[in-house]
Amino acid sequence: MADSPEEIAKHKKLYAAIGIWLLVFSCVALALGKITWLDFGPPGATWEDILIGLSVSVVKASLVALIFMHLNHEKGLIYKTLLFTFLFFLGLMSLTLFALADPIRESFDTLNTVKGMLNRPN
Amino acid sequence: MSELAAHSHGEVHDDHDHHEAPFWKQYVFSTDHKVIGIQYGFTALLFLAFGFFLMMVMRWSIAYPDRAVPVLSDWPWFQAWLDNEGRVTGDLYNMFGAMHGTIMVFLGIVPLAFGAFGNYVTPLQIGAPDMAFPRLNMASFWCFLLGGVLMFVSFFLPSGAAKVGWTNYSPLATTTDLNFSSQFWTGQTQWLVGMVFLISSSLLGAVNFIATIINLRCRGMTWMRLPFFVWAMMVTGFLLLLAFPPLEVAAIMQIMDRLGGTSFFVPTGLNVNGLAFDAAGGGSPLLYQHLFWFLAHPEVYVLILPAIAIVSEVIPCNTRKPLWGYKSMVYAVMALGFLAFIVWAHHMYMTGMGPAISTFFQTTTVLISVPSVILITSLLISMWGGSIRFNPAMLFATAFIPMFGIGGLTGLPLAFNLPDLHLHDTYYVIGHFHYVVAPGTIFGLFAGIYHWFPKHTGRQMNTMLGHLHFWPSLICMNGIFAPMFLQGMAGFHRRAFDGGAAYEQISSSILAEPGTFVAGVFEKLRIVGEGQPVEMIDLNIVTSTFAWLLALAQVPFIINLFASVYVGKKVTSDNPWDATTLEWATPTPPPHGNFTTEPVAYRGPYEYSVPGADTDFTPQFEDDPGIVKKEPAKRDDKVSSEDSTKA
Amino acid sequence: MEIPYEVAPRRDTGLFNSKLGIWLFLASEVMLFGGLFSAYIFLRVGVIEGVDAPWPWGINVHKTFVVLGFVNTLVLIISSVFVVFGWIALKERNWGRFQMFMYLTVACAAIFMALKTVEYRSKLTQHHDIKLLDNSVLEGKILDKTFDVPFEGNSVEFNLAGSAPGFIHDIEGEFPVMKATWKEYATVDGERKIVDKEAEIRSAKEFKSWFVRARTKATSDLIAERKRYRSEVAAKNKALYKEEEFTNPKGPVVDTKAILTAESAFQLHSRRRQVSPIERSDKGDSMTYLDGSTVKGTAGDDRIKFEPHYLDMQLVPIHKQKDSMVWDVLGDSHMKDAWYENREVAYEHMEEYYEGRKKEIPESMLRGYYINIQSLHGKEHAKPFWQEFFDEFKAGAGIGGGDHSDHAEHSHDQGDHEHHDDHAEEEAHAAADDHGAHNDHGAHSVVMIPRDKIKFFNSHGPRNNNYYAIYFTMTALHGLHVIGGALVLLYFVVFGKPLFLRNPEHLANRVEVGGLFWHFVDLIWIFLFPLMYLL
Ligand code: HEM
Ligand SMILES: [Cu+2]
Repeated sequence: MADSPEEIAKHKKLYAAIGIWLLVFSCVALALGKITWLDFGPPGATWEDILIGLSVSVVKASLVALIFMHLNHEKGLIYKTLLFTFLFFLGLMSLTLFALADPIRESFDTLNTVKGMLNRPN
Repeated sequence: MSELAAHSHGEVHDDHDHHEAPFWKQYVFSTDHKVIGIQYGFTALLFLAFGFFLMMVMRWSIAYPDRAVPVLSDWPWFQAWLDNEGRVTGDLYNMFGAMHGTIMVFLGIVPLAFGAFGNYVTPLQIGAPDMAFPRLNMASFWCFLLGGVLMFVSFFLPSGAAKVGWTNYSPLATTTDLNFSSQFWTGQTQWLVGMVFLISSSLLGAVNFIATIINLRCRGMTWMRLPFFVWAMMVTGFLLLLAFPPLEVAAIMQIMDRLGGTSFFVPTGLNVNGLAFDAAGGGSPLLYQHLFWFLAHPEVYVLILPAIAIVSEVIPCNTRKPLWGYKSMVYAVMALGFLAFIVWAHHMYMTGMGPAISTFFQTTTVLISVPSVILITSLLISMWGGSIRFNPAMLFATAFIPMFGIGGLTGLPLAFNLPDLHLHDTYYVIGHFHYVVAPGTIFGLFAGIYHWFPKHTGRQMNTMLGHLHFWPSLICMNGIFAPMFLQGMAGFHRRAFDGGAAYEQISSSILAEPGTFVAGVFEKLRIVGEGQPVEMIDLNIVTSTFAWLLALAQVPFIINLFASVYVGKKVTSDNPWDATTLEWATPTPPPHGNFTTEPVAYRGPYEYSVPGADTDFTPQFEDDPGIVKKEPAKRDDKVSSEDSTKA
Repeated sequence: MEIPYEVAPRRDTGLFNSKLGIWLFLASEVMLFGGLFSAYIFLRVGVIEGVDAPWPWGINVHKTFVVLGFVNTLVLIISSVFVVFGWIALKERNWGRFQMFMYLTVACAAIFMALKTVEYRSKLTQHHDIKLLDNSVLEGKILDKTFDVPFEGNSVEFNLAGSAPGFIHDIEGEFPVMKATWKEYATVDGERKIVDKEAEIRSAKEFKSWFVRARTKATSDLIAERKRYRSEVAAKNKALYKEEEFTNPKGPVVDTKAILTAESAFQLHSRRRQVSPIERSDKGDSMTYLDGSTVKGTAGDDRIKFEPHYLDMQLVPIHKQKDSMVWDVLGDSHMKDAWYENREVAYEHMEEYYEGRKKEIPESMLRGYYINIQSLHGKEHAKPFWQEFFDEFKAGAGIGGGDHSDHAEHSHDQGDHEHHDDHAEEEAHAAADDHGAHNDHGAHSVVMIPRDKIKFFNSHGPRNNNYYAIYFTMTALHGLHVIGGALVLLYFVVFGKPLFLRNPEHLANRVEVGGLFWHFVDLIWIFLFPLMYLL
């Protein structure tokens, strides 16, 4: 982020270019979501579509964070903070899902009982 | 955010110069970190007292569930909540229980430990003129106060205050008090709104603390020269910063459930009082528990770290020895901060978690005890061979170690899901965490008050009254919480307003037979009739009695605190304890802006009894204290002098 | 001493204070939205198939909303670019250009919020779901004010010492003249006695003052009685000397019941959560509020006027779909045919995919959204997409009232397009895909659905299901961030001139910090858009 005029002019170009890329990626995301032949995996929104759709978002988000938010110029301190933040976020998300995916299901099966009850028309 | 961006700069200093600021600006809407610290401290002490009062009523109900509450039953507010015979009702007990927990944790300990001590001491110890964002600091206090007032006011709503425990689990929290026409003005909702304010306050505070510690360290104050107190505050700050938002999310979602009719935490097919609950369903009560405990486990470290921090300032100062293992303590506290984020589900073993996930959480939980033990052992070893000054501060600090130790060790069985199956939600758990927060944290905080009191007032607190405060408190604390372990192991469940009438039959071989020593004592004290066996349930009376005595034991402290401001022994120097850290380099009391000359840290924080030195302490801030320096006063090579004098 | 590093960065950390502060704040914001995203995933993954309302897939989102969301994405990205350019303008000490870019940014924020409002309104007022008792869900539009429970009341009974009775807020129109009867303690000839009281109440205001007085009196009566009772017990205990032998008689019974009798019947429209449905439906002559007050009278006409567009059978087991109660409710075999026809096409599409891969169609797919939610009105696009978008936009923005009968006729006019049978499959596929379109065969029919066949109904607002709940929570929170950020930026440009003249670097720092926040808001939207609209 040096302040000389040439540097600034260079930066301006970069920012504009990134802006355009972001717009392009937005269109890609829309197309992925809406165009039938870009529907990967079985019809409907399946994990394949979600993975691909979210990767586009990750690319966009990294562009914003690195260029617009100058993360590419920052020192280690902020990286460290954000790294830990991100780790804890991942922990929160993955461990809750892990807990959801690993319930105790043994001799009794509450789930099916509940299902049976709810599916019975009154 | 707007605070951050808009107010953090320049204008603040304009009123630094004229010291004749009006009273309300100097003491009420002050941006001075010390004034804000004191404000936090007093508010927190008031809330602690209030939480204590709630607890005393609960203890009555537990000990004598069949008798009218003395004194209180004539107060108009109580009339509505007591039953015809003047006894505590389940509703009242639930309300007081929930609010005791909430108030103690969020309105008592955290503001006193982090808000008051952190605010007052941290900038002084790092040689900063104030916090990095003084206005944000003020906003944080007022936000806290607003949250506290909302919580307090909720007692006087028609619905009463929140009643479903400090954990506020859904779906009970969603369906309670639904019969009031204004859903907003119910205790349950106000609890959530109050929490949103308290959380926001803590977040602002945390941003401020971390920014201050990172950016405002004075010249020469390198990372490894930071007093341990500052390190602990920084880790605490990070815990608050990163763990609180998920609870804020949970609170917002619960507000949506209550007011917006969503079903985030409402499962499909929920019935309330036999009626189908009118909501879409599909939500997950477990999600709430995850979000809650993601905060609430780190929160227990928020409760304990400041106390450890205070104790690790008091102990080296009063043993005249360096803190043993300073570096390992620093790394331990960082490890603890990290691990604190991945152990939360040990509170949820009973929710039907499978073996794989609970193995993970058992492992991390056991791992986290390692850094805790490092901290506590270092403190213990620090005292070895010292010439200890047993002033009141040191007494409390010393007692802190075994008390916290008991609390910590009794936590180990709870870390494994097999014993937890038995102990979960019993009085054992209550005993365990109260050993940590009551005789643990609170003793640490008392130590801090006795230790730093002369800095602010220029007078010492009375030692005699200090002893009168300490010894009865120590005895009572143990009298309260030790029996809880026995009861818990015998199977007593917590949150039982009738004192566990259902457990009347539980006896224990140690207590049961008449003729044993214990039974004899119980008979003498008229706790049981003659020849009657002593049952577990009779311990309730012992516990409660100690709880009320504990209240009495605080009287000397209150007298001491207020009277010493006027009649305490005057201190003769700015550094009455002959301590080494930077806060003692300021005038007494420290003026706005703290230091009269720019402070520089020349050495580590705990240079006591340095061989070859004239005195037994070598302060961080003295350039040439008349000793043969072991190493030349190294300045932070990265911070040039012109940098820190600029701006 | 002054606080250092307010403008110039500290050498070893490379940061000035407020930049450090904002990054820390953003870290906590990451956790805030992280918590919400975790909740989103937890709720979505945690849906129990066949029990919970299924998470609607992206294709379920109305086209109009996708367009709105997409435009908003673009708007935010462009505003992000404006912010950096504004900051650069400050670095070049060019106040005019800075001003321009900042105002443009704020304008973007305004556009964003305006579009959001349109979307919210449209969701909240134009789209509704009705879930019948057998879990079949009809999507469409509710045409009259039927969210509340209609009830015609004659009298109300409630407990004076309890909470304020809620019915008072639910009275429609004129307040009825009511006679209140209740009991109070009074001292007559030096003796405490229970006396009957009566009062006439003519307005809600009168009710309020009457109630406050009567409640105060009732509560104090209650307290006094308890006190008297306790002292009596204490005296007796003393006389008996030993507590154990004294058995407590029942405490005092204080009658705090009050009855309001209206001269003429009054209409109530009560919120569903406030009244207990069982009491109401059993006999239909009384309705109990959750606050305990009971209204006597007759239940109102409890049918919902509804214009169905789609049918969602995901929650109905396949073998039960043929004789689901929804067909009775719809009563129009044409709609049933259209639904099955569409379903068949979707099924074929699914088969095509799986047979191409030599696999069976999994049960979850058969029960799933793709096959089981179809239009009830044939395959033809009634209107070109842009016109539909325009209508929806107008309705959402609250322009032109969106009168229903108009709308129905309109679509009728356009409805009788010829069929391109050879393209049928392709179009049906499109219909299945673009669920948002109103694929009218003819006019939308209107049906009356009796309330006792309904399990749950709602607009596409947060109550509807967890998708809408988290959609509204997250976008509203994000919207608050947009407003907050825009206000801060606006503050810089409106009040920043003096600082610019005094210390432009300081202002540039502030704008950088505000900009960081703004980019973060953009960054969140980058994830929200696909998660809420597309996937
Ligand atoms: C110093 C004396 C204290 C005593 C005698 C005391 C006593 C009690 C008692 C009797 C209960 C209720 C047990 C039950 O019915 O389940 C309780 C609950 C609780 N206390 Fe304390 N307490 C003290 C201090 C504290 C402090 C300092 C804190 C916090 C930091 C605290 C936090 C809690 C919490 C979180 C609960 C659980 C509330 C709930 O069930 O939701 N207590 N305490
Ligand atoms: Cu824990």
